[in-house]
Amino acid sequence: MQTTPSSADSDLQADNLRRAAIDKSVKGPVLFLFLNGAFWLMASTILGVLAAIKLFAPSFLGDCPVLQFGRLQPTHLNALIYGWGIQAGLGVMLWLMARRSGQELKSGKSLLYVAGVFWNIAVTLGLLSILFGGNTSMQWLEMPSWIWPILLASFLTFAWPMVNMFVRSYRPEGFLVSSWYILGACFWFPWIFITANVCLHCIPSLGALGAGINAWYVHGLILLFFTPVALGSAYYFIPKITGQPIASAELAKLGFWALAILGGWTGMQAYMGGPLPAWMPSVGALTGTLLLIPVGVVGLNHHLTTLGKHNLVATSPTLRFTFLGALFYPISGLILALLSNYTTGATLQFTHASYGFQIVAVYGFFSMSVFGAIYYIVPRLSGCEWLSVRLIRNHFWFSTYGIGTIVVTSLVAGVQQGGDLNAPEMWDQDFMQLALNARPYIIARAIAWTLITWSNIWFLIHLMLMVAGLGRRSSAPTLLHSAHDDTPHAAHA
Amino acid sequence: MSNFRTFILGLIASFGLPWLCLIIIPVLKYQALSPVAYDKDKDGVEGYYPPAPINRQGQIIYAREGCAQCHTQMIRPTQLALDGWRRGSGQDQEPRPALPTRSNTLLDYLGEPYAPLGVVRTGPDLTNYGWRAPAREVIHQMLFSPRSLHDWSNMPAFKSLYTVRAAQGPVADKAIKLSGKFAAEAGMEIVPTAEAEALVDYLLSLKKDHPVPGVAPAVAAAPAPAKK
Repeated sequence: MQTTPSSADSDLQADNLRRAAIDKSVKGPVLFLFLNGAFWLMASTILGVLAAIKLFAPSFLGDCPVLQFGRLQPTHLNALIYGWGIQAGLGVMLWLMARRSGQELKSGKSLLYVAGVFWNIAVTLGLLSILFGGNTSMQWLEMPSWIWPILLASFLTFAWPMVNMFVRSYRPEGFLVSSWYILGACFWFPWIFITANVCLHCIPSLGALGAGINAWYVHGLILLFFTPVALGSAYYFIPKITGQPIASAELAKLGFWALAILGGWTGMQAYMGGPLPAWMPSVGALTGTLLLIPVGVVGLNHHLTTLGKHNLVATSPTLRFTFLGALFYPISGLILALLSNYTTGATLQFTHASYGFQIVAVYGFFSMSVFGAIYYIVPRLSGCEWLSVRLIRNHFWFSTYGIGTIVVTSLVAGVQQGGDLNAPEMWDQDFMQLALNARPYIIARAIAWTLITWSNIWFLIHLMLMVAGLGRRSSAPTLLHSAHDDTPHAAHA
Repeated sequence: MSNFRTFILGLIASFGLPWLCLIIIPVLKYQALSPVAYDKDKDGVEGYYPPAPINRQGQIIYAREGCAQCHTQMIRPTQLALDGWRRGSGQDQEPRPALPTRSNTLLDYLGEPYAPLGVVRTGPDLTNYGWRAPAREVIHQMLFSPRSLHDWSNMPAFKSLYTVRAAQGPVADKAIKLSGKFAAEAGMEIVPTAEAEALVDYLLSLKKDHPVPGVAPAVAAAPAPAKK
């Protein structure tokens, strides 16, 4: 399009004003979600440290029933999933959807605050109930049965304006891959959540089928909520920051629909060889492995989009976190395939490797992508820039090494544990060997969560300062490889 | 608008199919399950399968304490894993049973509101714990102070399920007998609460390898010829 410089300038200005108006309209709810999410993230990592210590030293902090591993571990994961994951995910979704659709949040902002407050109250009460004796022992649904309707209503309150924005938006080009992922997440989460909760809490007795539905819920949440939110964010920020269009619309479409088709079948392979009718885990094993297709396709697409711009990964905090998150997508897909098929899966079943998969998916992949989005979104909403390069770098490296450690040690511990469980010579042995062999890995896990806690405390403080409007007053973004007292472009001059 | 409609229809179709096949239809079919009567001639036993339900009161404690985080309740078939060959994993408590313990079916868990199949096997599998369980007071001792039985144990001590109280006269029969550094102070005794008794009742009710009606128990393999 040929335009004279002056009209291009005024176009640009009009564009910037429009963006600023959109940002302003979603500012409050999005920052509310991020801040509360970051708080829960910190709580969850501290609980992660405690749970890991309790797993190798059960009498640590005394024998108080509230802090036993069986109650701490679900609290830790539920804080990570509901406190941080879904909450921060909603914040990213809301901002992305508003920007992507070019729509301001018209009305109902106070309703969003109410929903946000209720979400947090429900999570608080739910987690306290787990600690004080309301644990249902259903994975990721350990909170008592009266919590889920509140969570669902809050989620729907947030999802409704997003769907509206998408419907109202003007889409000349038709296919907007990140909006599709976000819309998918708005749509899948309530469906999965209602199905799992109604089946497990309202239908009186499902026995072992309930356990299968529970495993389906865990995988559904990872594959059809956390994955689409993280991918929607990556598909938005990678082209945005590298300045290159998404490499292939066809690959993007294939990646989306393959995930949509396969995701819903996956999950019951967690109980392979169990009481479920054999075809159910088999289908899960099949799709869990076939998911390598969308994973590979999306990974390739991101790789091609970033190609030639890798120097930006070093400077832009957003791209650095998003890039790492995008890198964890193929890794988590690979781990899922290892856990799902009947060869390696039989060894890794019921071992620490399953925890490794949950953490690599929710923390390594999803949270890293969301951190990237937060580093981009928050300065635009709060009107100031991130204070300290060192804090961002600190956050990045401590999280990266922490997650890397957890994933690697969980997998190796899984292989070790699975080997011990299935070794023929162990047939008449007690669990001493298993307990002793697992110990070093669990200690490593505790250390890794400590590193991550350290990074998250600073992330929370940094975010709080930003939300309070105490960031740097500057028009130059905080980049990682230029001291912010200098002019950021001095290096290029 | 048609674009949006196509998209939503695509989502509904792609997710609705697994939702229907994997969740809704199995849930509806599960409602029709009921205990099956044994055929005396074919199965060699009388009564119904599964014969007895688990102790639900204790299962609530089991869920509350998160036992399923470390204990599974599922025997895998031998082509997948060696669970069934573990000593004492089933009804046959012989040192060298002739047959592996069978893997589980949906009916084994009939009547349980939610079967805690387990997350990680940090501790032993408890599917058929009822068969190999030691005396009641030993289970209580394991729950109260696992380290007094195994110094390497990483099982939490569920002290809150027990009451430490001053012994009135001679120590009560049901008091846990501990020795050495684990023993209660002089004049005190440790007695299980009703919750601990329910949990032990539940553990003792875990017997999920009753013969399946219509499935002939596999015949023990003929002894292998002696090696020269």
